[in-house]
Amino acid sequence: MDKRFTLPIAKIVKETDSVKTFTFKHKIDAKPGQFIMLTDFEGGEKPFSISNCSADEFSVTIKRIGEFTTRLDDFCEGDLVSIRGAYGSSFFISKKKVLLVSGGYAVPTFYFLSKVLLANGADVTVVNGARSKEDLLFVKRFKKIGVKLFNATIDGSFGEKGTAVDVAGKLLKNENFDFLYSSGPDLMMKALQNICGEIDYEFCFERYMKCAIGICGNCTMDPLGLRLCVEGPVLPKEKVVQLTEFGKYHRKPSGSRVDF
Amino acid sequence: MEMLRTEFLGKKVSSPLVLPAGVMGMSFSGLHFSAISGAGVVTSKSLTLNSRTGHKGPVIAEFEGGFINAMGLCNPGIEEGLAEINEFKKVCDKPVIVSVFATSTDDFIKLTKYVNTSKGDFLELNLSCPNVFDEFGIPLAASKEKVAEIIASVKKISKLPIIAKLSPNVYNISEIALSAEKAGADALCLINTVGPGMLIDKKMVKPILSNRTGGLSGPCVKPIALRLVHEVYSCVNIPIIGMGGITYGDDAIEIIMAGATLVGVGTAVHYRGIEVFSKINEEMKIFMKEENYANLNEIPKLEKLWTKDSHCQLQK
Repeated sequence: MDKRFTLPIAKIVKETDSVKTFTFKHKIDAKPGQFIMLTDFEGGEKPFSISNCSADEFSVTIKRIGEFTTRLDDFCEGDLVSIRGAYGSSFFISKKKVLLVSGGYAVPTFYFLSKVLLANGADVTVVNGARSKEDLLFVKRFKKIGVKLFNATIDGSFGEKGTAVDVAGKLLKNENFDFLYSSGPDLMMKALQNICGEIDYEFCFERYMKCAIGICGNCTMDPLGLRLCVEGPVLPKEKVVQLTEFGKYHRKPSGSRVDF
Repeated sequence: MEMLRTEFLGKKVSSPLVLPAGVMGMSFSGLHFSAISGAGVVTSKSLTLNSRTGHKGPVIAEFEGGFINAMGLCNPGIEEGLAEINEFKKVCDKPVIVSVFATSTDDFIKLTKYVNTSKGDFLELNLSCPNVFDEFGIPLAASKEKVAEIIASVKKISKLPIIAKLSPNVYNISEIALSAEKAGADALCLINTVGPGMLIDKKMVKPILSNRTGGLSGPCVKPIALRLVHEVYSCVNIPIIGMGGITYGDDAIEIIMAGATLVGVGTAVHYRGIEVFSKINEEMKIFMKEENYANLNEIPKLEKLWTKDSHCQLQK
């Protein structure tokens, strides 16, 4: 049965002005790419990718966007929230030379993935993109675990000037990678898909989720009808290339299509 | 699939299994994924005149016997919803039930006019959503007079056969079913979710659903579905789409024996994956072969345990 657990936030780390990481002392059976559903029972329950997970604790990294995450932003250590999961598909764990490309608040998922890849013997390169220095996430943590890290900021305030895809493009041209992972906005991943050539990859998508257990159909992607909460959020190349809505539109809570 | 072929209101159906309203029916691709996974008929999300965001989360919660859910009739509105159905029909020829929800006869008529222009095969009137009480009050399906009024009005203009989706949360299901049949319903669909019920988080001392309450689905409601389908079958002469807790082939056989012509499978999509349709199809065939039933018509129906007169008398 789907287990719900209600527990206090053990630790809160402020990452940027609008991003915080909540850590919970709880054993969760989760793999990189999977997500949990989190609620405060005040109206709102949202999916959050797991940004770190060990034997007795796990973390999610939350960006303040709407009404619900603005409320969460005011939460303190010790405050209770209720969680269910982990849900969804997870990333393939390679042993080879891999490139991880991510931007914005999707980056923390790749911290969890990087740790598991490194433990599996993979050679891990991470491209971490953001608008500017203040928005870059997890820079110290990525360095600490020993991945090859390339930071990219659009305004050039830190690392290389340009998008994560610009930097990834150079790396893909100059080095031979066996596998590519990406997590981030559709338009970023679409741009990456356009320049990545023949390399095999997995992309982690974001769509509006409600039930998170494969019933309601709100997070299906056209034309395959894949549910991002069950068949996703991580999809393999063979599926990604068939997605006609990728980079074009998504569905609102009502199911109405909205163009990116 | 020869054994499972049947006909429903004049349309050929490859399997009696139906994807019910509210499950995977938000997009043409969700309907298609269900159809290629073995559903014989698919149903759209219940569409309203204007789009609805639905309730805030949590909208669903699990317990030992099933789920409670209160989605709040989220849907993109009738025009965009029908566009999804038309897109589905471009890639799949399986019949589609267009489900619509309204709270007045006028709005049902407006919706029907839209549906008349679509490629849908059947029109389902959702008279029984249990999760919008705060907004709309007691479901229409609780009143045999309202049920009759709406069906009769829609019948006059609908180009598609009409299916009335009934509520299990009444004491006089036979009266309501008879009232729907008399008003011109071509088929009945039951049951919608049961209750509604409530679940509580004991640490935070709050109801788990943001709507406080939600309708029950899953294995716990199967006995209620079997009883209500049979009670209705005993009293009416129109076909029934039976649903409620159908998870395995045995459940599907049982609800057919109770009186259903077609069988809805909803919550089990979670328990057994989207492959649940092909799994149940196979399980039904195994049972039918064992019992030497060559097709669905050979599956015996339960001897009618109620009669029109005796039961309606009892309910008065």
